[in-house]
Amino acid sequence: MLEVIEVSKNFGGLQALDHVKLHLEKNKIYGLIGPNGAGKTTLFNLITGLLPVSDGSIEFQGQELTSLPPHQITRLGIARTFQNIRLFPTMSVLENVLVAQNIHTQSGIPSLFQFKGQREKKLREEAEALLQQMGLWEKHRELSSSLAYGEQRRLEIARALALQPALLLLDEPAGGMNEAETEELLDRIQDIRNTGKTIFLIEHDMSVVMGICDYIYVLNFGKLIAQGTPEKIQANEAVIEAYLGREEA
Amino acid sequence: MLGSTYSLIAMGYTLVLGVLQMLNIAHGDVFMFGAFLGLTLAFLGMPLYWSLILAMLGAGIVSILIERFCFRPLRKAHFLGPLLSTIAFGILLQNVATQIWGSEPSRYPQTTEISQFQLGPILISSIHIIILATSLLLMIVIDQFVKRTRMGRAMRATSENQTNASLLGVDIFRVFTFTFFASGALAGVAGVLTALVYLQITPFIGIRQGLIGMVAMVIGGLGNLRGAMIGGIMLGVLEVMNDAYLTAGYRDMIIFGLFFLFLMFKPEGLFGATNRES
Amino acid sequence: MSVYLEGVLALMGINILMALSVYAILTTDQLSLGNAGFMAIGAYTSAYLTVKSGMPLLPAILVGALASSIIGLLIGIPALRLKGIYLVMATLGFGEVVRTFFMNFEPTGGAYGFRGPSGATLPLIYGWVLLSIFFFWLLTRSRLGRSLDAVRDDPEVASTVGLHVTLLKIGVFGFGAFIAGVAGALYAHYMFYIESNNFNFLVSAMAVLFVILGGMQTFWGAVVGAIIFSILPEALRFMKDWRLSLYGAVLVSMMIFRPSGILTRETVRDLGEWFGGMFRMTRS
Repeated sequence: MLEVIEVSKNFGGLQALDHVKLHLEKNKIYGLIGPNGAGKTTLFNLITGLLPVSDGSIEFQGQELTSLPPHQITRLGIARTFQNIRLFPTMSVLENVLVAQNIHTQSGIPSLFQFKGQREKKLREEAEALLQQMGLWEKHRELSSSLAYGEQRRLEIARALALQPALLLLDEPAGGMNEAETEELLDRIQDIRNTGKTIFLIEHDMSVVMGICDYIYVLNFGKLIAQGTPEKIQANEAVIEAYLGREEA
Repeated sequence: MLGSTYSLIAMGYTLVLGVLQMLNIAHGDVFMFGAFLGLTLAFLGMPLYWSLILAMLGAGIVSILIERFCFRPLRKAHFLGPLLSTIAFGILLQNVATQIWGSEPSRYPQTTEISQFQLGPILISSIHIIILATSLLLMIVIDQFVKRTRMGRAMRATSENQTNASLLGVDIFRVFTFTFFASGALAGVAGVLTALVYLQITPFIGIRQGLIGMVAMVIGGLGNLRGAMIGGIMLGVLEVMNDAYLTAGYRDMIIFGLFFLFLMFKPEGLFGATNRES
Repeated sequence: MSVYLEGVLALMGINILMALSVYAILTTDQLSLGNAGFMAIGAYTSAYLTVKSGMPLLPAILVGALASSIIGLLIGIPALRLKGIYLVMATLGFGEVVRTFFMNFEPTGGAYGFRGPSGATLPLIYGWVLLSIFFFWLLTRSRLGRSLDAVRDDPEVASTVGLHVTLLKIGVFGFGAFIAGVAGALYAHYMFYIESNNFNFLVSAMAVLFVILGGMQTFWGAVVGAIIFSILPEALRFMKDWRLSLYGAVLVSMMIFRPSGILTRETVRDLGEWFGGMFRMTRS
């Protein structure tokens, strides 16, 4: 469903990505790993349209993404979370989710007069369901910035889910979580996949990656150095060297 | 020949913007205050060069007040905080000036001997020479100061990164105060010189002259001291040319039109901006 | 009602509209220091229509405001590329360009000003004020309002949740310009005479200060700021000569001691709860 075809990205003299080729199929969980600075988040930024590609193309369900602005890519069915959690700080927990639902309905000037209407009611019910699912409903009136770290991560995921995407990009979703929280996260991600979605996640926590990914891509210095099932990757020489070599440097 | 006064005002803007990342909208009113100080001193019978020096000091002090009341309390807040506060301070300065000197135009007394002579088709008076000479002198002084002295280096370090400069032992608060003082001093001198030419001033001249100084700063490039100098002179020339070939009415429109166009299409100015505004 | 009091209230109403015009654009984190330019366009356009073309007042106001909003949209487009200080200066420059334009534009009097527009009454002015407040009230609880909040908080992330950030940022310029245009039209038809200096930088600056000092987090701040700081010079009349200086000092002090303004989001929320559900000024 998602094809990344020979994509390169350079920033002036720095080659962030070099002829990267990926292929994602429906309803699977994919992992993207690699040492820091390998270009993983850059790839996400290219897919979601926040950055333009320098070369190559990205296709999603047959549609070319590389010339589209971010909001249109989102409307096509791709949602993401951010490595350093970017919620809307002055908006409440509920509002963060509600605003993501605006793409499903009329949210221009006519919406000024519809705040008591049926559509609004339905959106709120769906938002409540999502927040219940993520265990955040009790705090729905609080400012998103007042939440604990783990709760903020869950809110980001809830907001992404509110977009009803076919493809969900998660950037280090387990960052800063302890074992219990990570276990819960794994279950949640599996649940999401079981609703028919495709998931592509960047992670450093190998227990997460090896635990739930069906297929893994490995990046180093912007190049794809390995790909395969978790077992294959764990045994792969190049991958081991990339991680260990890094520690020595 | 007012171009060089625009340069002085522009340099003041650019100093504060470059070193403190802040736009001091009250700068034009500091200029106005300098003009009035010069006027008062002239009325008291003081010769020109004394008026200049004292007005310079006075304006510098007023500028330090801006630093204390508008910049320091708000510099950690939203970056526009100081800017908005200077809007209020400018209004305060205008009101105080109106209080002290009245809102009617005040005439500048003739204390200096004016001689005039022809240079080709242009009539030059000694006033123009004084303005040009004083402005050039100050421009060179400031330029060399920033380049060669310790405080100049401290200012440059602070403009690049306040935290680092402070860690390297620079007393950034002294830098702030000095920068504002220098900026105000330049404006003060420009004020007296302008008053010499216009011969009458009101508490509201700061608005227009300040804005033109801002335009000169943008044309030269934000934070670029030499650019501000050249920008001011260019605007001065533009003014003269406009009055010669078009009617005076269009003059300001052309200047502000240029201002707008530069910001839209060439915000780094003609000589490159050093400003790191995000 | 004395003529004096009526004058104060009329100008206060116009100030409220100008403050709201600044706030409208500020909802997307864009600060416009040139709304006097939009005000001028609305003023001169509507005045020309009523005086020279005999158009009735209400349509003339609408056309004037529409002209202003079109210019607003046009300004909004290049404004997208400008951040922070650059945007502030560009809007400032725009305001000055408009002012100097009308100073030279012969058909509307040029430097001599334009005499003749009349017909604006206190009820008309406050009718528009209430209408605008109503619109902002709707905005606060609507989906569009939520989109604007998201854009203000983080435009990049807003685009990744599907919001058309560009359209929103340009749109609010048009909306703010419209309100300023209405203010200008009402001003012209109340004052009977307008000249380009009525729309100078100080007017733009005061509009911004109303919003900041009143509280820029909610639209009520703009309203309250305009009311308080319109009345303050009059209330300080007992100070006689020094009242304007005191006014300036109050402005500066407020920026030092309460830079978030009189009404913050929390204050409005608390007041809202105090007044019960009907006045719920915040969302959810």
